[in-house]
Amino acid sequence: MGTVDLTQFHQTFFAESMEGLDGMEAALLELDAGSTDHELVHTIFRAAHSIKGGAATFGFADVAAFTHVAESLLEEVRSERRPVTSDLIDLLLRSVDCLRTMLDHTSQGRPAADENSEALRAELAHLVETGTGVAAAAPVAASAPVTVAAAGWKIHFTAHPSLLQTGNDPVRVFHELKQLGELQVLRVFTVDAVPDEFAALDPTQCYLGWELTLSGNVERAAVDGVFEWLDGDCELAIEPLGAPAAAPAPATAAPVALLPPHPVPAAAVNGVSGHAADAGSIRVGIDKVDALINMMGELVITQSMLSDIGANFEPSQLERLREGLQQLERTTRELQESVMRIRMLPIATVFNRFPRMVRDLERKLGKQVKLEMHGEQTELDKTVLEKIGDPMVHLVRNAIDHGLETPDKRRAAGKADTGTLTLDAHHEGGNIIVRISDDGAGLNHAAIVAKAVERGLVSPGHDLNDDEIAELIFQPGFSTSAKATDLSGRGVGMDVVRRNVRDLGGSVSVKSVAGQGSTFTIALPLTLAIIDGLVTTVGNERYIVPLISVVESLRLKPEAVRRIASGNEVFHFRDEYLPIMRLHRAFGCANAVREIERGIVVVVEDEGQRVGILVDELLGQQQAVIKSLEKHYRKVVGVSGATILGDGSVALIVDVGGVVRLGRRSEQAAA
Amino acid sequence: MGGRRATKQGGMVTVSLPADCRIGAQVAVHAELVAAVQASAVALDGTRVERVDTAALQQLWLFARALEKHGGALTWKGASQALEEAAATLGLTTILQLPAQQPA
Repeated sequence: MGTVDLTQFHQTFFAESMEGLDGMEAALLELDAGSTDHELVHTIFRAAHSIKGGAATFGFADVAAFTHVAESLLEEVRSERRPVTSDLIDLLLRSVDCLRTMLDHTSQGRPAADENSEALRAELAHLVETGTGVAAAAPVAASAPVTVAAAGWKIHFTAHPSLLQTGNDPVRVFHELKQLGELQVLRVFTVDAVPDEFAALDPTQCYLGWELTLSGNVERAAVDGVFEWLDGDCELAIEPLGAPAAAPAPATAAPVALLPPHPVPAAAVNGVSGHAADAGSIRVGIDKVDALINMMGELVITQSMLSDIGANFEPSQLERLREGLQQLERTTRELQESVMRIRMLPIATVFNRFPRMVRDLERKLGKQVKLEMHGEQTELDKTVLEKIGDPMVHLVRNAIDHGLETPDKRRAAGKADTGTLTLDAHHEGGNIIVRISDDGAGLNHAAIVAKAVERGLVSPGHDLNDDEIAELIFQPGFSTSAKATDLSGRGVGMDVVRRNVRDLGGSVSVKSVAGQGSTFTIALPLTLAIIDGLVTTVGNERYIVPLISVVESLRLKPEAVRRIASGNEVFHFRDEYLPIMRLHRAFGCANAVREIERGIVVVVEDEGQRVGILVDELLGQQQAVIKSLEKHYRKVVGVSGATILGDGSVALIVDVGGVVRLGRRSEQAAA
Repeated sequence: MGGRRATKQGGMVTVSLPADCRIGAQVAVHAELVAAVQASAVALDGTRVERVDTAALQQLWLFARALEKHGGALTWKGASQALEEAAATLGLTTILQLPAQQPA
């Protein structure tokens, strides 16, 4: 029998600890907002306690030592011996940050503790040592189920044979108890199951039991907490030590209130994107896995039905065959959706970082911000989710730094002191729309235009409408902030935000009303792996235009097309002139239709800009699984990838953004 | 691993405990103790022990019990601080006849 390999649990520990820290942070922020909910303190305490227990079990001594001090402090808060102050919350929030870093380092096999963490630990320890500052707090309302026994506890603890094999070690458990109070071993005994002959002993099984006393002012919950990790591996009875007669007996010999077994990740799915850095895992809800298994069952049934028809095929069964194929199509589509859903996670995982950020920025900038979040449960692909975080952080920072005004300026403008920042996520067609809006000053058009002229982005005196002005902020290197703050003036501009979003196949735009605020809208595809496309032919080749970008398809008469000075063609479409991109010319396709009236013009849109793409004909709509062209060949301007059609041929997927830019560029060159 | 062999000298068997004396090492330690359990006198050398857990201490206790049953005598050639502390924590110092020392 070998040693129990604890490393297999490390990932779960890190994932659960990070979740615990998220919960801790959220609860701290709620407390900060003035909530008096006692349960919040418990949540914070439990998170710290679980991390401490796990870290000790896995031998991450630095993390365990840090959380131990934090827990001691929290214990004082929980027992209402220490008041919740803004400073305390600050300190605890910093501790959360520090623990995140420590866990990060530990997971990478680096030493967890550094100067910062040690300094913070000392600060926490100092606070614990210097006392609570509260002599006698009013007792908690009886709602808290925690009873404090002044004398201590008597613990009867008998190990199950498997206890040691599950990685538990009473030596460590008793060490933890020692930290709560004075521990005394009254008696240690062997259980009946111990073999008579020493030779027959299995040294990895546990045959021991103990009677202990733990003296001191220790809460029952703290004792339970120590035994939390021994779930199901021992018999346990905890009784108050010399309990006063009036004290309610807390269920003698009751098993410890153990946590439910830790949810095992139902399935670990590696990212399909193939980026080494992203090769993480996803925790998937059982319901999603069950849906998948159901679909699989359906598929097997359909398959057996079809092979049955195939084996004894007669023309009279044609109808059944058709039905079977329809069923196959339906099930495949549902299966595909179920599989894609596995990669879908709620956007809350990104939104959750904002309350903290907003709080920190408020203090730093002396502004008052009310953060409203809607649609946190909107799901999107994990890869998209991971990459949308940074652009969103940038937009939220900008909104608070540049958008929202200081209270005095707001008052002068006749607004409430507190500005509102709204984050909203929802599905719209095949897209997920994320809006970041503020009720601040709005974009400063005059400053933007001045800056653009200074940068040579527009010529002086050039008349721009509001949308065009707003569009300028997305130009590379554009920043109008009079002074670069340490928040926004990092040289990372809106152009980077746009590029990041574009890399995800999405778009970002802004609408702003002077004095009323700005709204940034990010539109993202639900998934990066599959798109709905319009299949078109150009010469002998087929191109797929993402349906999301298609505005309309139309056939033009020759007289509707005008040739402008440069030789470029434009046509009139809903009050504007759009350039025509001849796809055969852009991609060099042979045998393509050259007469406008014989082809089809597909009007596509990207970030509010439209062009008409000339193709030979439309074949229909189809879902296309995107294969990276870059990975298998090389990057091609105007093409975002390739897909394999039903007949086995390869079709290229048109990169609408690229094509629109190409079209607009030639139009501008002509202008 | 080479030093952790049971040695026999004039009826006295010495068993050296490994530096990492935790559950993973106990099957090997068990084999050595089984070989020593019939001896008239056994000396345990715990001076090298750096890490020790309940599995090890339990085994030492059960060994001491078995040895006593056979009329053998147990002595210690020394015990490291780690061993002493862990034994004290589990309340096994006296039972294991560890060299008398005040637990920390």
